Formats: sequence, structure tokens, C-alpha cells
Amino acid sequence: MTPFSCAREHELSELLRKGHWPQACPADLYAHVVSCRSCSDLVLITGMLQNSRRHTAELPRLEPAGAIWWRAQLRRRNAAIEKVSRPILGAQIFALAMTLVVLAAIAVWQIGNWSAWFADVPSALHLDALIPSSMPESSILWIIVPVLATIALLSGIFVYLASEKQ
Amino acid sequence: MSWESIIPNVLAGESQSLAGTAPAAAMDNEQFAAFYARSARPLWAYLARVSRDPALADDLTQEAYVRFLCADHPQDGEVAARRYLFKIATNLLRDHWRRPQSSSIDELPEHIFTTTPGNTQSDSISVLGPAMAQLRPRDRQLLWLAYAEGYTHQEIAQILGLASASIRLLLFRARRKMARLLRSGGEA
Repeated sequence: MTPFSCAREHELSELLRKGHWPQACPADLYAHVVSCRSCSDLVLITGMLQNSRRHTAELPRLEPAGAIWWRAQLRRRNAAIEKVSRPILGAQIFALAMTLVVLAAIAVWQIGNWSAWFADVPSALHLDALIPSSMPESSILWIIVPVLATIALLSGIFVYLASEKQ
Repeated sequence: MSWESIIPNVLAGESQSLAGTAPAAAMDNEQFAAFYARSARPLWAYLARVSRDPALADDLTQEAYVRFLCADHPQDGEVAARRYLFKIATNLLRDHWRRPQSSSIDELPEHIFTTTPGNTQSDSISVLGPAMAQLRPRDRQLLWLAYAEGYTHQEIAQILGLASASIRLLLFRARRKMARLLRSGGEA
């Protein structure tokens, strides 16, 4: 006997596990259980918990196995897609960053030419006919630039939404 | 190039695409249904009795099976698969207890687990409930796994993530406390 168990505990546990207690219990073991606190605790608790297990297991209304199977398939699929798309997303972010850098470099490089081109646009497109005569001619640029920026922004949003739909 | 052409098997949801990696991938739908039918009620009983919350047991049972089906650990046979399932459920319970609670599990009425009064079995269960409530969750787990499920000390150690050598002592203490509570009618 160890400090934490009785020498006959294993024998008794086997009987309890097989459901042979107390019908198939040897008389000497039965007498031992009556006198041994550890073994009587074991009988009491095992009996109670096994009863409770039988009773409790009858209670639940379980979800159909098919629904759980389907949910697991869905989760595995999503996990696989996420795993595959992670490097692709990284590549997309890198490509976008590189594009912005190149555009910024071109803008800095060509800033002088673009200023002249912008200055020529109103006269080339005769936009001065569209604005009130009271407005100074130089303020046309302040209309064109926001319009172009809005078109560029909307184009970007449109491309993003189109790629999301795919 | 579309996403489907990059990962056709994954999108098709074929278990074959992941076969050999997941334990349950080797299990087809029908095998899983049979395994579920044999193991779901004992698992639910474990979760319900240890957490003392049937609604939580419902949720965690489902989640445990989903995680079991998604897991990557190979399992040898139903006994090991069942043990693995209990381990997942135990981890889910632990995660639940670590989260801030909106309401205490102790508020749950024990009568949920009882049936008609006067029945000897129900009487014993109605004594068991308050006694279980007096125990710490880990003691409830230990006692249930050892005496309701019949797991060995080594298996309990695997399920609970404890050292195998400590199970004997922990179980002894939990059993002694439980027996004292049961003999006093569940009162501390």
C-alpha cells in the first residue's frame, strides 16, 4: 500500500470498470472494502460518476454529424485558401509599393514638363469657354487637377471592386 | 489565372487533397458519423459535468469535433482518436475559463441534470451535483476522466497536459475530498 492508494485498489477498479461490482466480487475483497476507507471511497465515487455519466449522456440533442463534417470541411478549405493567398497578398503589396515609388520618381523627374503641359491644357481644350468670364484664367488649373485626381481615384476603386468580384 | 486553378483540390473540398496530414481526413463522412455517434454523448457528458453548463457543452462539443476533423495529428484507432478528442475538449474548456466571463458558471442550476424526483439514480445525481460544484474544475476533470470514463493515469496526463507522476496524488486528493462531500450530502 502506498500513501495514496490501497494495495487492492487495482483489483477493485477492474471489477468496477467491468461492472462486476458487487455481484462478482470475492467475499474477502468485499470485506476489505467495508473496512478500507480508500476502497470504499473508490466504490462510492465510481458508482456515482458512472451513474451520472449514463444519465447525463442521455440529455443532449446533438447536432447532426453531417453538419459538423461540412463545417470542418469549410474551415479546412478556408484555412488552405488563407495559406495560399498570404504570399500572393504580400506580392500585391510589394508591387503596389514599387509602382508608387516609380510614379513618384517619374513625377519628380518630369515636374517641369508637366507644369507646362498643364498650363497648355485649358487653351488646347478651350476650357476657358466653360468657366465664368469673371474667373481668372490661371484658376482653371485648380479645376482640372481635382477633376483628374477624382477620375484616378474612382478608377482605382473600380479596379479594386472588379478584382474583388473575381 | 483564377484562384480555382491554383488550388483546385482545396476548393473542391476533397478530403483526398489533405489525406495523410489530418487524422480525420482518412475518415470519410460515414466513418465520421459512426465515430460521432459512439463518442459524442460521452464527450458532451464530460463537458457538461465539468463545466456545469449544458449550453457551453453543446458549443464546445461541436467545436471539438470540428477541430478534430481539421487536426494534423495522426491517430491510431478509435481509442486514440477518442482520447485526442477529449484532449481538444479539455483545451477548449481551459480557453473558455481563461476568457473573462460575462456570467459565472456557478450560477447554473443543477436541476438541469436531474430527472424526476424520487428516483434513486436521480437522488444520487442530485447529491453529486452540489458535491461536484464544491470541487475545483481540475478535480472535476480528473475524477470524471478516471472514474466515469475509466482512463488510466497516463491517459489522463495526456488529456489534461499534466505530468503523469502527479496524477496519482492529484486524483487521490480529489477523490478524498469528493467522498467527504458526498457523505455529507454535498455540503462543504
